[in-house]
Amino acid sequence: MVVGDVTTGTEVLVIGAGPGGYVAAIRAAQEGLDTTLVEKDAYGGACLNRGCIPSKALITGSGLAHEAGNAEFMGVHADPAVDMGKMIEWKDGVVDRLTGGVEKLCKANGVNLVEGVASFVGENTVRVAHGGDGQGSETLEFEHAVIATGSRPIQVPGFDFAEDHVWSSADALDADTVPDRLGVVGGGYIGMELATTYAKLGAEVTVVEMLDDILDPYEDDVKRVVRKRAEELGVEFNFGEGASEWTEAPDGGYLLRTETEDGEESTYGVDKILVAVGRQPVTDGLDLENAGIETDDRGFVETDDRTRTAVEHVHAVGDVAGDPMLAHAASNEGIVAAEVIAGEPAALDRQAVPAAVFTDPEIGTVGMTEAEAAEAGFEPAVGEMPFNASGRAMTTGHTEGFVRIVADEETGFVLGGQIVGPEASELIAEVALAVEMGATLEDVAATVHTHPTLAEAVMEAAENARGQAIHTLNR
Amino acid sequence: MTVEEFKLPDVGEGVAEGELVSWLVAPGDRVEEDQPVAEVETDKALVEVPSSYDGTVEELFVDEGDMVPVGDVIISFRVDEDGDGGATAEAEPEPEPEPDAGDEPAPDASADAADGATSEPDTPSGRTFAPPSARRLARELGVDVAAVDGSGPGGRVTEADVRAHAEGGGSADPGGADDGPEPRPAPTDTGSTGRKSAVSKRGGDGSSDGASAPAAGAPEPAGRETTLATPATRKVARERGVDLDDVPTDETRDGEAFVTADAVNAYADALESPSEPEPATVDADPAPDAAAATDAAGTASGDETVPYRGVRRTIGKQMERSKYTAPHVTHHDTAEVDALVEAREQLKPTAEAEGVKLTYMPFVMKAIVAGLKEYPYLNSELREDDEEIVLKRDYNLGIAVATDAGLMVPVVEDVDEKGLFELADEVNDLASRARERKLKPAEMKGGTFSITNFGAIGGEYATPIINYPETAILGLGAIEERPVVREGADGTSEVVPAPTLPLSLSIDHRVVDGAVAAEFANTVMEHLETPLLLLNE
Repeated sequence: MVVGDVTTGTEVLVIGAGPGGYVAAIRAAQEGLDTTLVEKDAYGGACLNRGCIPSKALITGSGLAHEAGNAEFMGVHADPAVDMGKMIEWKDGVVDRLTGGVEKLCKANGVNLVEGVASFVGENTVRVAHGGDGQGSETLEFEHAVIATGSRPIQVPGFDFAEDHVWSSADALDADTVPDRLGVVGGGYIGMELATTYAKLGAEVTVVEMLDDILDPYEDDVKRVVRKRAEELGVEFNFGEGASEWTEAPDGGYLLRTETEDGEESTYGVDKILVAVGRQPVTDGLDLENAGIETDDRGFVETDDRTRTAVEHVHAVGDVAGDPMLAHAASNEGIVAAEVIAGEPAALDRQAVPAAVFTDPEIGTVGMTEAEAAEAGFEPAVGEMPFNASGRAMTTGHTEGFVRIVADEETGFVLGGQIVGPEASELIAEVALAVEMGATLEDVAATVHTHPTLAEAVMEAAENARGQAIHTLNR
Repeated sequence: MTVEEFKLPDVGEGVAEGELVSWLVAPGDRVEEDQPVAEVETDKALVEVPSSYDGTVEELFVDEGDMVPVGDVIISFRVDEDGDGGATAEAEPEPEPEPDAGDEPAPDASADAADGATSEPDTPSGRTFAPPSARRLARELGVDVAAVDGSGPGGRVTEADVRAHAEGGGSADPGGADDGPEPRPAPTDTGSTGRKSAVSKRGGDGSSDGASAPAAGAPEPAGRETTLATPATRKVARERGVDLDDVPTDETRDGEAFVTADAVNAYADALESPSEPEPATVDADPAPDAAAATDAAGTASGDETVPYRGVRRTIGKQMERSKYTAPHVTHHDTAEVDALVEAREQLKPTAEAEGVKLTYMPFVMKAIVAGLKEYPYLNSELREDDEEIVLKRDYNLGIAVATDAGLMVPVVEDVDEKGLFELADEVNDLASRARERKLKPAEMKGGTFSITNFGAIGGEYATPIINYPETAILGLGAIEERPVVREGADGTSEVVPAPTLPLSLSIDHRVVDGAVAAEFANTVMEHLETPLLLLNE
């Protein structure tokens, strides 16, 4: 106990107001539990402030500019100019509305909001240090806690985000000017989203990736579509190279130095370096050991299917609890945590979590790939529909990519899907619903889809898997 | 103003009729579209029947407590001409057939799917196909969704299946013995009052059903050619092993005999105990534990019924097939295993050093292989259709493991090619995964001979049932010190305590005779009593 501390009690304490934490807090309050939400920084977490929302705002803005300037084939001639300061201002406005909305929702649902940094002092107690000198601290006793402290970008040694020219993904989303030359370290989804965004905004983008391709978890034909399009946008790829250091260039700007496993070095002239090599959980400062909670060797808090940690009344949700590190998974986990605490029969009983990458074109995936289905012991039935056979895709001018649906040959149950192409992030929702509902190929194929839409491609892929496609050759 | 009649809608899933539990309106009452006018209990659920009109209740055609076939007119409305309701005059709204979780559970929630398709595919990786709503319901009711037989396409688990599982009435399982289409009683000839649901009734009504039950103590098979019954009644008949055509009944539909579940139960009860026929009563109170529910069968008040489903039923079917296919003979003997106990004690430290928990099981497995090599007919399979006995070249031993879910028999393959420690490791791994229900189906297949170790729980001798189509199974009692007669130092016989292992060997007498069984047992015992012989294995 620190002098000046006051101790208050709460039934549920949620640490972190990101998409896992605020959702957990609101649902806990809806369940009639006295709930306190501690946030050290900004409501909405990485998703609203430094991730999903700001990046999608910039992706939309840059995409619009690029589309408008590249629509001569439709007879549209334009030479759009991007006011980056204005775009960032607009993006910040979107973020502000959403984060303000989160705060309002929390209050409206009766969640007690506390600003500060929480750290455990025991199994049922945290201390919350309020920001700034002399702001004091308070002690909160809780019956249940939900850790939802999220994740932060991983730094590469020698590339300190404190340097102006070394960008984290958050920095890239706040830049009010477009660098002439952008070096991107990491060809994962964050690196690729921002690489294509900045390429569309006019930057000369060079991607450096240790592996031999971009977007590691995705299938080759999915990657190929995105890589090809990025190359068309002018993105240069350098595979098998890891960033080793930067130096100032004699003629201004910086030199990004890379090294292969064999020791071969390369140097790229850049103005900014975006480091996007992954994210790590935020657990430092939480003093988890005081609550008796350990983390795994990567620093994640281990949880069971009811989001409980080794200490049963303490839950962990979202990025801090490990894969899948996705906002929508975090929200789902937050709801489960709150309901489990409230004594409801909730559990993480989902069959699959969809994922989307907002590159150009987008990727949407859910459930099993063909290989994973075979590995799991299914006889996979696979159907595809290329967007170049889709009437609606042609009318948008975006025919690259395909819809693939993976099912069990014996029963027809849809096991997963991979979509790369226009609106893949939206279209994948239909496949996700099918997977979760235990729908069969026939169910999807026999559901009448609106024409002309991109969603028809999902129906066609299902027909294709059954050998009954009308608009494509059955494989 | 026009008068519109309203028929009891088809609530689907094979429900043919329902009991009109209570009227929520009376003639002259003003009703609005979608306002509940009656509560009807089907074998699926208690459902509210909504009005499909804006108007005034004109007449009620059915009394509370009456059974109403689907399609019968139950109420008429005087409809506002200018109201919106007229537009839906032809509509037959389908009431939501799902009761709230807190509703009284229907005694038997089974409802055979109308299409009669049967499918219970194995899903790899233990995956169960069920929508989130069914999964949540399963958690609410404490049901393992993986243990529920799905009645949906491809075996998808529906909420109804989960409820049926929880309530012990089985899933809405369309399978079973009847492959043909289930005759669905036509909603005619239904004038009689006081008739009961085929599958469901509320407390207190049961006794009045005596009229359709066979005379106590002397069930006479009716021996009809055709009998109408609801799918749920057919299911009860299947479960109770009763031929519907033999169940006496006075009821008819469309001129054909119509049988209710009560009649089936009464008939089955009478067959089982002719002197003391149990009245077919059903306790319709909600079970305090949803997992232990009452069912529609004639269960005395206060009895508990548990669902005969999932693993339990699979075991049951397998046991029944084995017991009634293979004439079992069980040969008993006892091995004196001083040397075995000693050998294991000597090996234990080495095993522990290698991280292996060494039990007696690997020794027994090796001894069995020695016996099987000498008497290959015990390691065989009789293929009746082909009129041949297949002598197996592999020595794959199934090890029966008692789990919370029931008996599982994982198979250790190629026992002849493996060392004691390797076997110990594999048995421990399979047994622990069996208990956690993490075995893959493939790991329980391909056995050529099985071992059941009831001694681990307690006991000396038993009659193991052969893991059909294998030919033999060896049951192990507990190794304990028991009195044995031995020659003393002075040449006289004396009774001394010694560790002994009781053995119970069941054989398929079609394939193996008692003499061969005894010889096999002797070889096994010889190897257990002289473990050095195992070195040869």
